[in-house]
Amino acid sequence: MPKKIQYDYETDAVLYRPIYETGKGFYITVGILLLIILWALFMYITQVWFGLGVTGMNQPITWGFYIVNFVFFIGISHAGTLISAILRLSKAEWRRPITRMAEVITAIVLAIGGLHPILDLGRPDRVLNLFTAGRLQSPLLWDVTSITAYFTASTIYLYLPMIPDIARLRDKGGKLTWLYNFLSWGWQDTEHQKKVLNRAINILMIMVIPIAISVHTVISYIFSMTLQPGWHSTIFGPYFVVGAIFSGIAALLILMIASRKVFHLENYLKKIHFQYLGTLLLIMSLLWFYFTFSEYLTGIFGSEPHEMHIILYKFTGPYAIFFWGMILCNFIIPVILLGFKRFKTITGILFASIAVVIGMWLERLNIVVPSLANPRIELPIGIYFPSIVEWALFMGGIAVFILGYVLFSKFFPIISIWETEEGRKEAITEVEERIQSYLPGDETISK
Amino acid sequence: MPKWAMIIDLDKCTGCGDCMAACKLENNIAIVSPEEANNGRVMFWMDMITMYEGEYPNIQIKRMPKPCFHCDNPPCIKVCPVYATYINDEGLVGQVYHRCIGCRYCMVACPYTAKVFNWYEPEWPEEFKVCFNPDVSVRMKGVVEKCSFCAHRLITVKETADSEEREIRDEEYLPACSESCPADAIYFGDLDNRESKVYNLSRSSRAFREFEDLGTEPKVIYLLKKE
Amino acid sequence: MEIKRREFLKLLGGVGGAVTLGAYGCEQVIDVPERLIELAKKGPGLETWKNTICGQCPAGCGIRVRLIDGIPVYIKGNPIYPVNQGGMCPSGHSALEVLFNPDRVKEPLKRIGIQGSGKWEQLNWEDALQTIADFLIKQRRNNKSHQIAFLDGSEQHSLMSEHIAQFMKAFGSPNYYQHPSIKNNSIPFLLLQGVQQIPSYDFLNTKYVLSFGSNFLEEGYSPVYYTKLYAHLKDVTEERRTRFVQVDSRMSLTAVNADRWIPIRPGTYGALALGVAFVLIREKIYDEDFISKYTFGFEDWVDNKGHTHLGFKSNVLGNYYPEQVSKITGVPGETILEIARELGNNRPSLVMGEQGSAENTNGTFSQMAVHCLNALLGNFEKEGGLYFTDLPPLANLPPVDEDELAVTGNSQQRIGRDSNGAYPFSDFSMDSFVKNILSDNPYPISVLFLYKGNPLFNTLNHHNFAEALTKIPLVVSFDSFITETSEYADIILPDHTFLEKWDEFSNIPSVGFTHVGIQQPVIEPLHNTRNSAEVLVDLGNLVGGSVPNALPFENYEKEIKFRIENIYRSGEGAMISEGLKGSWLEYLQQRGWQVGRYNSFSEFWELFTRNGGWWNPIKKKRDIKELFNTPSGKFEFYSQLLKDEIDRLVLNLGDDTPQNRELAINSLNISARGDKVFLPHHEAVPFDAGMPLYLTTYKLLTNRNGLSSNQPTMQEMFGYTTRQFWNTWAEINPEIAREYGISNEDYIWIESAIGSIKLKALVNPGIMKDVIAIPFGLGHSSYGRYAKGHGINPYSILKNKYDLINGNPAPQATKVKISLAT
Ligand SMILES: Nc1nc2c(c(=O)[nH]1)N[C@H]1C(S)=C(S)[C@@H](COP(=O)(O)OP(=O)(O)OC[C@H]3O[C@@H](n4cnc5c(=O)[nH]c(N)nc54)[C@H](O)[C@@H]3O)O[C@H]1N2
Ligand SMILES: Nc1nc2c(c(=O)[nH]1)N[C@H]1C(S)=C(S)[C@@H](COP(=O)(O)OP(=O)(O)OC[C@H]3O[C@@H](n4cnc5c(=O)[nH]c(N)nc54)[C@H](O)[C@@H]3O)O[C@H]1N2
Ligand code: SF4
Ligand code: SF4
Ligand code: SF4
Ligand code: SF4
Ligand code: SF4
Ligand SMILES: [Mo]
Repeated sequence: MPKKIQYDYETDAVLYRPIYETGKGFYITVGILLLIILWALFMYITQVWFGLGVTGMNQPITWGFYIVNFVFFIGISHAGTLISAILRLSKAEWRRPITRMAEVITAIVLAIGGLHPILDLGRPDRVLNLFTAGRLQSPLLWDVTSITAYFTASTIYLYLPMIPDIARLRDKGGKLTWLYNFLSWGWQDTEHQKKVLNRAINILMIMVIPIAISVHTVISYIFSMTLQPGWHSTIFGPYFVVGAIFSGIAALLILMIASRKVFHLENYLKKIHFQYLGTLLLIMSLLWFYFTFSEYLTGIFGSEPHEMHIILYKFTGPYAIFFWGMILCNFIIPVILLGFKRFKTITGILFASIAVVIGMWLERLNIVVPSLANPRIELPIGIYFPSIVEWALFMGGIAVFILGYVLFSKFFPIISIWETEEGRKEAITEVEERIQSYLPGDETISK
Repeated sequence: MPKWAMIIDLDKCTGCGDCMAACKLENNIAIVSPEEANNGRVMFWMDMITMYEGEYPNIQIKRMPKPCFHCDNPPCIKVCPVYATYINDEGLVGQVYHRCIGCRYCMVACPYTAKVFNWYEPEWPEEFKVCFNPDVSVRMKGVVEKCSFCAHRLITVKETADSEEREIRDEEYLPACSESCPADAIYFGDLDNRESKVYNLSRSSRAFREFEDLGTEPKVIYLLKKE
Repeated sequence: MEIKRREFLKLLGGVGGAVTLGAYGCEQVIDVPERLIELAKKGPGLETWKNTICGQCPAGCGIRVRLIDGIPVYIKGNPIYPVNQGGMCPSGHSALEVLFNPDRVKEPLKRIGIQGSGKWEQLNWEDALQTIADFLIKQRRNNKSHQIAFLDGSEQHSLMSEHIAQFMKAFGSPNYYQHPSIKNNSIPFLLLQGVQQIPSYDFLNTKYVLSFGSNFLEEGYSPVYYTKLYAHLKDVTEERRTRFVQVDSRMSLTAVNADRWIPIRPGTYGALALGVAFVLIREKIYDEDFISKYTFGFEDWVDNKGHTHLGFKSNVLGNYYPEQVSKITGVPGETILEIARELGNNRPSLVMGEQGSAENTNGTFSQMAVHCLNALLGNFEKEGGLYFTDLPPLANLPPVDEDELAVTGNSQQRIGRDSNGAYPFSDFSMDSFVKNILSDNPYPISVLFLYKGNPLFNTLNHHNFAEALTKIPLVVSFDSFITETSEYADIILPDHTFLEKWDEFSNIPSVGFTHVGIQQPVIEPLHNTRNSAEVLVDLGNLVGGSVPNALPFENYEKEIKFRIENIYRSGEGAMISEGLKGSWLEYLQQRGWQVGRYNSFSEFWELFTRNGGWWNPIKKKRDIKELFNTPSGKFEFYSQLLKDEIDRLVLNLGDDTPQNRELAINSLNISARGDKVFLPHHEAVPFDAGMPLYLTTYKLLTNRNGLSSNQPTMQEMFGYTTRQFWNTWAEINPEIAREYGISNEDYIWIESAIGSIKLKALVNPGIMKDVIAIPFGLGHSSYGRYAKGHGINPYSILKNKYDLINGNPAPQATKVKISLAT
């Protein structure tokens, strides 16, 4: 029975609690999640064993859930790093309690999303051919590259700001000291170390933004580089990026609200944070609608027969529910809930975010399946019902994400402690100075 | 370098479907279970398209055999991440089964839906394995396949031509479908050879290529019905 | 060899690939079948080709089998065989799946369970033959040789049928039947022309073809042959281009390819033919010279007793004016006018109406009506008309000297014909056959041999037929598979498949020239099977009597040689040869025919078997009189043969009174009266009341009559145009669909007076409004793993109806009602 570690005296005791107190809830959640993951794993093994026949895919609908979820998850992953980077860059003070959660999402979801193309392979055993025999002309390879890049960048970008916190945990001792010891790289809070750390973070934050944008642009290229009606479009790049950030913010909001409840972070995640992010979400929603609108208007206006055929199929065909569902979730609901002060409560925002996440998933579905279901050549229209295996792997993916987050929160503070402290100490004066510098009067700040 | 091309005369083609059978048998193409077949997993390298035009009783039913078009600018090969589908210098678009990772990107990219996928491990009763065509390898689960213009036949033809130290004659290299079409509706030959049948037919006023506007430059050319 | 190897790696893009791959070995990069690597290294396995005849349907195409080290790996058309010139149909193409089929009967079987129980035990050939022989000997000893019946479904024009006939004659039974029977099919021509042969049509020189439901590209006697002709015609220049008009209830493959499709109510095309005749006569666009010189019964006429008789002309003019015909057939009056005028004004033009449209109770009358159009056009023995091919100079089998047992047996009444004179011109009718067996009328059948054919699957009254089978003490099947029918056999003596055996085929009906094709083994028999022909000989030898001498040949091959030698001696015709390739016209027209010279028969035989056949494209010019072997020696619009037959029936009833006449004609269910009976006329088909839709079944190139259901490739391709694989469907017209609220791919119930079946409905604008069409061939309850349990057999709801005159099955005589299945 190791002696209980003391943390109550800390100002940010709340942030330590999840690490040192383990309730029954924790074990139950982890247990359930593990079950789901095992089930998914089993399903995947059957797929590898028998072949992709166990999925609902067919000719002409040769891509299904796996690709849909691939695009979807990668989209979500944009929450983190990109947003936190932008917030850091714009020196938005309110970012401090948000950034880490955001970055965690990225790291975990990116890993999950990145694996999806492999789930989709008919011959996973030959995946190495991608490296031994890769053909750079193939957008699929561009993806491999940019996703790996983004993954490395964002994990480092998650890790660096954690070092000071890890050091704190190390100093508190306990079972995992060895781990913290290793991860904290002998951090001693010296001025020099702080300077180096900040510089590193700043460099990364600049690097990570273009990479992040490239990732989703390239994913959109997978589709837009083909000649398929409904895919072969120039605005797909930005369209996907916007969609990604959109779904990312929504996911982030859901996570924040959840954590707030579970870890009692009311004093850290205040209404204002949600208000700000909510507004951001609203803007993205409008932006998303603008892109969707232009995408379809150009299609309809030019009404190239095959293009038109697919648009009508989406509007009125068997996919109509999904299409209009998407419009409802991505535009109508968020605009109403976030547009009016009255609804813009935390619950309102929660619902809006959930709607958006669902809506964005539907969007991916609407992009992938209908274009494949309607071959150019006069072949019958295809139908696609995802099989139990595909559902299992979808659930599995989500479970892995939640588990990842739960475990993370078990071993590391999900709100950056040192940055919060730093905020308390320096932010006020720093901001005051900054504002001073905007105001008329002679230069106060020396170069 | 010859440029192999196929011409299908829709005026002569009756839609008898023998080309489909010839292809399946010549190329050891797997037969999937009935349920699979009706769930869009049937495998025809040579497929049959049926179009209804007009209203009863003045209707026209159009039939159109559809192999891989061996595009000269094939969208399918550009997207393959591992060079498992390629175009060789004689214009044949091929598949490398042992290398394909089964991402099905090429199927998605083919505007003509010409490729099929091995959703399961293909199976035959022992008895039928005896009469496989030894020149064509049997595919494994998880890879994409499609019409090869019966490339294996070209090998033999080349070898005979080489050993006799001469050029390949027109219509010496014939794919299975073209060889046994009862309507002689499928011509095959070298598009760069001004003496060849296909060269001359390809300049007929009836000649057209599917979705020419896509710039894929199919090397399967159809001849319209005479009016 | 190295060079070659690289050559072919390059071909498969390997070298290119390899370069980009560096480290990878070529085999890794491109997919080189082990066998090919061997091949590239130390030369190919021995490849040989063998010519033979396809046995998958009666069309008799020549095929070329590819063998690697003696094992057949591919079948293609024999390019020099005149019938198909290298062309093939899917069913024949995939015939290796029959040869190597895992469900073949591999040795003689004896049924131990009850019929259909599928319980069998192996027999060795000697015991099997002995058991049967003992039974046969007993029959003969008790003067019951006639109680042996032989049912041959091959419908092929092979030596085998004569071989069987010879056996039965010598054994002493009149009960050898082909089912379906070509003899029956040619009755319409017999009645009008006195010639019992299916005519050939000179497509190549005709300008206009009007086909009454003869689906010659898809079904027809020789689909590939006709496809070749058709394609050749497409190649000729615009102005000389033949125009095809197809009359059919559904848009069959032939209709799809015709220049015009004319939808018609099933069972009414005789009326349409007469409607066309009306226009030809009224507008005087017929061959008056021919009519006056060579026909009988066109005008009204007076017989020697002084009675005046109704002539074809006044009958037609009186009853078949377009409005009337349009009412019957559903074909608009103006359409009738149009086609009649086109027909009359684009000479030479011809009219054909084979089986398909004949598959109804009024089939014979209707085909007579159609054939009369050819008479009106004077289409005999002239370019672009129709003609009969000459028989090949094959040696006949030695005459049988029947011992008295045989003589008495053969003199017995034939059990395949109705004893009360129904179906007066049938050589065989399944209806009568079954009825007679069930009622021992006039005598029981104690042994039934079944060769080819799966009648239980594709005859109408299969319940009664099954019952009849159970009643027969000994049923012997020669089938290579356990089919619905052979399930009922007591003993199965498995035959070789056509790729393992000898046979000889000659003059496929409607093929336009004299020809003989040789079927020969391409591989040693895979299993312990025997050629049924030789099995018969063995049986004969065991039975003794006059049988052994009737088939005095060492083996079947020798028997064939004996027949062929006569061709060699005759010096006629020529070996088929490379000369054939190239345009059909050219070599049909190449006169000054060079007969090949052979120094010996063995040389002849060697070439004959190597090339696959012999043919003679030049037909002897027949004097037009020879064509008409009727009482009047002319083409008889008024069929005296039919009249004589009916007079005979009348006399059987007593003396020639109007009452007896009425009785006789009534007994045949003929609705016409007086002279009309003997003239081509429209006999309304007795459809069931209260059934709104006509049911028509048809056969696809991918299946034939259910035959190809044991070939997986064909099962998969079954609905290659509708994308229904391994499955039966029903085609309905869009209007009907709307009426019943049926949308494409919905399931519907189809109900006839007999029963009902559930099928997927395909909405198809290519079908007559009140007709529903179902492809025939699937729905097996036996016949191996690939056939069993896939699709539905429309037979289960077809009514038990037959052609009134020739007793052929009438699978188009059923009406049904449909409803959406929920
Ligand atoms: N592919 C294939 N070829 C075959 C066969 C096969 O099963 N499959 N069988 C062979 C044999 S054994 C035979 S006997 C021949 C038979 O071949 P055909 O003589 O062509 O007869 P079917 O094929 O039975 O039917 C031909 C067409 O007649 C149409 N029809 C039916 N009733 C009527 C009617 O009342 N009026 C009109 N105008 N049309 C009607 C049907 O819709 C069908 O499309 O084919 C031979 N060749
Ligand atoms: N609805 C409908 N029904 C029809 C018709 C139609 O048009 N519509 N057509 C009718 C006509 S025209 C015909 S011809 C009949 C055809 O009916 P069948 O004459 O019964 O012909 P298949 O159904 O092809 O059966 C052929 C059988 O012979 C066996 N067999 C094949 N090769 C050999 C061999 O070499 N030796 C032996 N011993 N057996 C062999 C096969 O295993 C198979 O069981 O169907 C009739 N039924
Ligand atoms: S084989 Fe010839 S005629 Fe038959 S479908 Fe193919 S191309 Fe057309
Ligand atoms: S048809 Fe399709 S598969 Fe064939 S070459 Fe063109 S793009 Fe590739
Ligand atoms: S499926 Fe195979 S061939 Fe097609 S793109 Fe993927 S790896 Fe290349
Ligand atoms: S060319 Fe060869 S592979 Fe291509 S469709 Fe014809 S037969 Fe099949
Ligand atoms: S038509 Fe087809 S099945 Fe009949 S003989 Fe010819 S190839 Fe064989
Ligand atoms: Mo037949």
